[in-house]
Formats: sequence, C-alpha cells, structure tokens
Amino acid sequence: MDSQLVEARALEAEITALRRACVEPPAPGEDTSRVRKSFREIYQADSEGWELSKDLRSHLGHLESELQFLSTLTGINIRHYSKKTEDLTSTEMTEKSIKKVLQRHRLSGNCHMITFQLEFQLLEIQNEESLSSVITDLSIIMEPTEYSELSEFVSRAEERRDLFMFFRSLHFFVEWCEYRKRTFKRFKEKYPEAVHLSEGASSSCMGIRNPSRPGFELVIVWRIQIDEEGKVLPKLDLLTKVPLQALELDKNGVIETAPLSFRTLLGVLGIEATLESLIKSLHTEASN
Amino acid sequence: MELANTLSQDGESRGGVLAHLERLETQVSRSRKKMEEPQSAQAEESALRTRIHELRRLRDKLRAEVKQHQASVKASTTNVESDQTLEITEQESLKRKRENVKAILQAYRFTGISGKLTSRGACVCISTAFEGNLLGSYFVDLVMRKPLQIHHHSIPVFIPLEEISAKYLQTNIQHFLFTLCEYLNAYSGRKYQADRLQSDFEAFLAGPLQRNSLCNLLSFTYKAEPEGQSFPFCARLLYKDLTTTLPTDVTVTYQGTDALSTTQEEQRAAHESLFFTKPLHQVFTSFARKGDKLDMSLVS
Repeated sequence: MDSQLVEARALEAEITALRRACVEPPAPGEDTSRVRKSFREIYQADSEGWELSKDLRSHLGHLESELQFLSTLTGINIRHYSKKTEDLTSTEMTEKSIKKVLQRHRLSGNCHMITFQLEFQLLEIQNEESLSSVITDLSIIMEPTEYSELSEFVSRAEERRDLFMFFRSLHFFVEWCEYRKRTFKRFKEKYPEAVHLSEGASSSCMGIRNPSRPGFELVIVWRIQIDEEGKVLPKLDLLTKVPLQALELDKNGVIETAPLSFRTLLGVLGIEATLESLIKSLHTEASN
Repeated sequence: MELANTLSQDGESRGGVLAHLERLETQVSRSRKKMEEPQSAQAEESALRTRIHELRRLRDKLRAEVKQHQASVKASTTNVESDQTLEITEQESLKRKRENVKAILQAYRFTGISGKLTSRGACVCISTAFEGNLLGSYFVDLVMRKPLQIHHHSIPVFIPLEEISAKYLQTNIQHFLFTLCEYLNAYSGRKYQADRLQSDFEAFLAGPLQRNSLCNLLSFTYKAEPEGQSFPFCARLLYKDLTTTLPTDVTVTYQGTDALSTTQEEQRAAHESLFFTKPLHQVFTSFARKGDKLDMSLVS
C-alpha cells in the first residue's frame, strides 16, 4: 500500500507539471528570444522588413519595365552585362590630379535572329579640364555565321573599335533582312506557282517562272551589303535563264539588257513594284 | 497495583492469569481489528488502485498533449525561422536582380541608344563616337501620345531633325532613332577630324581652317611639309552625304602662278585621293611621317 501511495503521489506531481507545460511555451533561453525577436522584426505593422520588400519589388518592377521599353525601342536585347574596373592611376598622375582607369566590359544579347557577344576595353583619363574615354580594344562574336556579309563587317568594326557603328549597322542589316523576308513571303503567297524560293523566305534569291513555259526563269538576287562606313545597302541583281531558241529569237537583245533594265526599273519603281512587275510580265506572258 | 505487586511473590501464577487475560484481551482486540482492517484496507487499496489507474491515464493523456504542443511550437518556430530566412534570401535575390537589371540598363549606352521612362513618355539619349573616342551625347524627350511628339531635345539645329522625324517618327521609331544616330555620329566624327586638324597639325596649315557648323564643308590651305619648300595646296572638302565621315567631293588646287611640274601634279592627285579615303587628321599624320624624307624634286 505504501508503494502505491508513493506511486499515486508521484503521478499527481507529474500531472501538475504536465498541466503547467501545456500552457507555457517550451524550452529555454536563446531560441525563444530569437524567435520572439524575429517575430517582432517581421510582423511589426509597417515594419521596415515588409516595406523594404514591397519597395524593392515595385522598384524592380519599374526597372524591368524600363528594360523592356529600351529593348523594344532599340530592337536590341541585352541579356548579360558585366564590368571590371582597374585603376591605372600612378602616384605621379595623382599629383597632377590625373586619373586613369581601365574598364573591361562584357556584353551579350541578340538583335532578332542574330546573337552577339562583345568584349571591349574602355580607357578613361580624367584631368582637371576634361574626361576622355577611348575604346582601346573590341572583340565581337556573332551568330549565326551564315550571313557571310557580316563577317567582313565584324572585322572592320573590331579594327575601328567602332562599337556604335556595329550596333547601328546591325540594326539596319536586320531591318533589311526582315524586309526582304517579308517581301519574298508576300510574293510567294500572292503568286504561289510563279514564285520560287529555293531556301525558303530567308533566302537571298527569288526565282520567277511560268509553269506553262518551262525553261524560262528570272532569278532576282537580293544581297544586303555593309560598306566601309557601316552603311547598309540592298543590292539587287537580275539573272536570266532562257532556253537557247528563245535567245536566238530575241532580236532586240531584251534578255541581254535585262539586268541593266532591271537596275533602271529599280530606280524608278522601287524594289517591290519592280519585282511585282517582273512577276506579272512572266506570268501573264502570252504564247509567243 | 496490588495485583502487580502480589504477582511478584506468587508472581507468576496470579500475574500469570491476569497477564494472560490481558494478553488475550489485547489479542482479541487486535484480531478483531485485523478482522476489520482488510475490509477498509481492501477498500482503500482498491480505491487507491483505481486512483492510480486514473492518474496514470491522465498523465499519459497530458504527456501526449504536451508532446503535441511542443511539436507545434517547434513547427511554428521553424516556420518562422524559415520564413525569416526565406524572406532574407528573397530580399537578397530581389536585390541581386535589381542590381543586375540596373547594370543592363547602364549597358544600353554602349549601343548608342539608351534612355529612361519619364512621366510624359521617354527621354532617349544618343551617344556618339569616332575611332573609339567617345564624344558628345544628345537627348530627345518624347511624349507618348498619338501622334508621338518631341517635347524638347538637344539636337543641333543644323541636323535635319524635322526631316527625319517627318519620315520615320510616327511609323518606325527604331528607324527614326538609328537614323538620327547616323547623322549625329557622322557630325561628331567630322567635327572631331576638323578639331584634330586645327589642334594637332597647326604647323601644316598656312591659314585658318574654314568650316561650317555642320562640319561638312571644309576649306584650308596646307603644306605637306611645314618646313620644306613645298608649295601650299588649297583643299576643299565637301561632305554631301551627312551620314558619312568621309568627303564626297574633294578638290586640291595649287595656289601658285607657275604651272605644276609632273611630280607636283602627281602629288596633288595623290593628296586628293588621300582625302577621299582617309579621315582628315590621318592624312596629315601620314604627311608628318613622310616629312622625314626630303623630297628634293619639289625644290625648284
């Protein structure tokens, strides 16, 4: 009986203790205080924590929309950028209050279907009167490399360290490429049997045939060139494919002079009207 | 008492009986008690046993509750902690993203065209450079309305802004900006060349450099050799195409009264072609380099 009493007493004591434990939060010291502190930090009504986060988020949103805007405005999409700065100021220069800094920039992104990767060095020399910034090195990697016109242009831009010309010409080149693609596509859709695009809409050649007159073909070669100054110009040429008998019948030498007439026509009517007139002439040619 | 005393003499017999009676009495009461006790004891014991049973049950129940309570507090503690760390890492990643986006926005100036949004629309900044030298920038403040308008700008008056905006501003803003870029960069380039000629090659010039504000018409008299006996040539450079930094028309003429010798004529023609193909200051740099060797044929 005594042992049972003892057990009963022990149980009672334990129960009291357990009852207490149910109400109070547990365990000691540091953890609890840390938790309590962070609660305070976070859940303070207009606490800095949440405010900062809200501000940060809205600020980031604004910056991202500005980036989207610039990307649309320029047609150039910069995806990565990094910069390293090296201070080249010598003690001699500091005495004369001259500051010399070398910046290494790395930039990559795309302009429509063309992706670029640039690395260039910018040397900044600041003296009392002025600041001079010179690009001292430029290296450009572009893809895709099928546009052979571009590789020459790229080496020229690198040689001249002309960063702005690179982007300007890139923009105009891409604009011309897109225009050529749209024009070819439009003609293909309008005259599906007459127009033939050997490499699809992105090709630089458009063939015109009349299915009822096999053997005759006019090929329009539309190249987009970038000159020494970085100017982007379309260059169109006409090639004729004519069966021998037709050539013999051609007393006026129309076929021979066709390429030249084509150039003249371009000057008068412009690209689209010239192409359309050529298509129509072959298409609706009466039997001869 | 007497009894007790008398016990000692006859002691044991008389004491014995009484004592024996006493003892029996005690025994009986004890046994009677003992007879009673198990009942209450039993009752007590069973009561106690039940009580212990209940206490045990209650204790176990409470133990489970406390465990649960502890677990839930622990869970909420870790949630708070992970929320806190989540919030910190979220803040960190947002900060990093913001720095990244800021950097890319800065990087746009290297494309030649950059800008920022304004309350009205946008302010676009066009940068210029020549031969890797970063030169001035110009801005155009656009109002995003239909039709798009230029609120104000820093484009020099001799750049055909109206013409360019009439052609492209409403239909193709990219074309508008890049065309403006072309004009401004070409102007900056021409200006740079003229400035360099004036500052670095003063010795070669026989008179002031005449230039217009657009820097597309330059006229000057020069000597290919500053010290030498060479006759001064007169050069006139016209840049009809405002988007180029090289002249479209070059005339080099001789300013003397005598006719030119063949070599002089060759030189004149060579200079003319040089001015067509190389930037102005580079032409004079090549003159400076050639100046090391004396051209005796020019001494007449």
